[in-house]
Amino acid sequence: MTLKVLVVEDDREIRALMQSSLTVEGFEVQTAVSISEASAMLRHSPPDVVILDLGLPDGDGVDLVREVRQRHALPIIVVSARHQEEQKIKLLDAGADDYLTKPFSVDELLARIRVALRHRGTTLAAAVKEHQLDDLRVDLVNYVVESKGELLHLTPTEFKLLARLVRSAGRVVTHRQLLVAVWGPEFTEHTHYLRLYMGQLRAKIEREPAEPRHLLTETGVGYRLAVN
Amino acid sequence: MNTPTPHLRQKPFTKNGLTVGLLLVLATAACFLLEPYVSLTSQAMIYVLVVVIAAYKVDWVSSAVSAVAAVTALNFFFVPPRWTFEIENPEHFIALGVMLVVALVISFLASGLRRETEVAQLNERRAQQLQGLASDLSDVLSGEQVLKLGQQALDAAFEGPCNLVLTTDDHELTDHAEFPIGVRDGMRCCIVEAAVLGPGTGRWPGLNAWYVPLGDKDHAAGAACIAPALAHDDAGREHAQALCALLAQALWRLRLTSKMQVAQNEVQRQQLQSTFLAAISHDLRTPLAAIVGAASSLQTQDDKLAQSEKQRLLGSIVSEASYLSTLTENTLQFVSLTNATQAIKRDWESMEEIVGAVLSRIRQRDVHRRIKSKVPEGLPLVKADPVLIAQLISNLLDNALKYSDGAIDLTVQANLKQLMVTVKDRGPGISEAAQEVIFKPYTRSDQSGQRGAGLGLALCKAIAQAHGGQLIFSARKSGGSNFALTLPIDTQPPAKELP
Repeated sequence: MTLKVLVVEDDREIRALMQSSLTVEGFEVQTAVSISEASAMLRHSPPDVVILDLGLPDGDGVDLVREVRQRHALPIIVVSARHQEEQKIKLLDAGADDYLTKPFSVDELLARIRVALRHRGTTLAAAVKEHQLDDLRVDLVNYVVESKGELLHLTPTEFKLLARLVRSAGRVVTHRQLLVAVWGPEFTEHTHYLRLYMGQLRAKIEREPAEPRHLLTETGVGYRLAVN
Repeated sequence: MNTPTPHLRQKPFTKNGLTVGLLLVLATAACFLLEPYVSLTSQAMIYVLVVVIAAYKVDWVSSAVSAVAAVTALNFFFVPPRWTFEIENPEHFIALGVMLVVALVISFLASGLRRETEVAQLNERRAQQLQGLASDLSDVLSGEQVLKLGQQALDAAFEGPCNLVLTTDDHELTDHAEFPIGVRDGMRCCIVEAAVLGPGTGRWPGLNAWYVPLGDKDHAAGAACIAPALAHDDAGREHAQALCALLAQALWRLRLTSKMQVAQNEVQRQQLQSTFLAAISHDLRTPLAAIVGAASSLQTQDDKLAQSEKQRLLGSIVSEASYLSTLTENTLQFVSLTNATQAIKRDWESMEEIVGAVLSRIRQRDVHRRIKSKVPEGLPLVKADPVLIAQLISNLLDNALKYSDGAIDLTVQANLKQLMVTVKDRGPGISEAAQEVIFKPYTRSDQSGQRGAGLGLALCKAIAQAHGGQLIFSARKSGGSNFALTLPIDTQPPAKELP
């Protein structure tokens, strides 16, 4: 079955580029030029992935993300320019799955779509319980974290932090989402907790904490657990 | 402002009467008490003393009354025959007559002295008020503040009602709705005539207030209406004018300052514009030419080109375009940083993370892993905008990759006060002449024939400064360049101890 992608983008050139490169990869591509058009299309025939450009003429997309999140588990990838940092974070916090910063290569776009599709339906299907990449293995059910074949001793907070990233492996998790998951909603301003515990976690997991392989930093946005 | 109220107020008549009466009762009581011991002469002296005191304390009329009353009381109570107004002895008659004259003269002189003292005190208070107002006005920042201070000063100096209003640039009164129509007209008129109107000024003497313009003709910034105005009160009018002159000066200064600010902004805007023009004229045109050339070659000569040649052209398009993207990003960031009215958004950040994120991006262009990073564990957190700091480090590393061939050292160090990030390369270094201009927008050391990031280093410096830090260049003895970013370390945030 071909997978359907809905591209919401008001610039003709970029829309055409995405359409052609995604079609070549075997996707069935639908396009919309505004939030309202996208919203109508979503109601009519929901796609498998939504690629949503920021700065559309008729809104910032937060409502669209909320609307989609209420009814579907389909992934949303936000495409933003550098100066739209705050808006991007707002959408990610609202439930968008991932983001791409313009200019991006087709490789990056495809990689994001692949990761997003892997998580498709996780709200209905069994959530991710295990993660393995290179020398790192995490088993959330049995509380086991292994690196280079050795069992690691994580504190409960470190484990909670890692677990949240594992559940969204490959996707960006915003500072706010992590703080809410690990410390609670009243700690959303305490980003320094994240810096400190992330530093500890890297020191335990990474070979070279300064050039992490697993726990990647999305500067100004959040963190991402590498999947490849 | 706590200037004492310099009103020249008349004490109410009843109060003066009471004072005089009380003093006379006291004098009479004292005379009765002292009667066994002293003669009539001393008793007369006590009454004279009371008249002197009264003359200094009360107004002229009351003090004259007190003089007459004192003589009468002495006659009634003490001069034989006592308890009558009659005088038996002609000598006593003369004594009482002389005493009355003396008392009247003293009371006249004393109240004159008192008036002079009061005028002197009033003048001193007014001088103090002017001084206080001048110093208060020296650091005001808005017309509203001037208005408020001016209103306070006028209310303190005059019984009122005093009104103060500013004018717009086209000489219209602002916020004048609550003033009576006569006051509004008076204010408008004094602004148009650029002169004080009202009693004693020779202009519109029939008015019951002075109307003072704030400023000269054509430069009036407002007007004041001051009451009560008396034709003979020259000192009061002069004080009113002096206060208004101070207010006018302050308002004029504010107008000049704001005009200067506008002019400065305009200059800055033009500088930015020329910076953009410089960017477009050189740094954007060259890569655009390369992209158009490569793309058009692929479009028209597709079948004649070898596969390897096609790949080379495509590679050139991608790299030139990403160069343009970086350049645009740097330019926009530089403009927004140097134009920023508000401070940058800072949060607690880990330098280890920022360096890690930069390296993961830059390794794509550093296939031979020339960058060697050294980041110690347990670095303190810094208050920073991570995106900007990442851009700074990226620019430094990009430059080092571009302008040198050997290894590049990226080192992070920290002491108690500051955190230092250094990027050292083993390239040709930067000539002394070039060192002076590298941090200026759109200059670059062209010796290698490669393009620079336009205002990359200017942006780096602006980012460092926006964080209260510094970016310093030094030449390495062994050749090559050394860029050092230092950031201040603030008191660390409290870490909640959780297991």
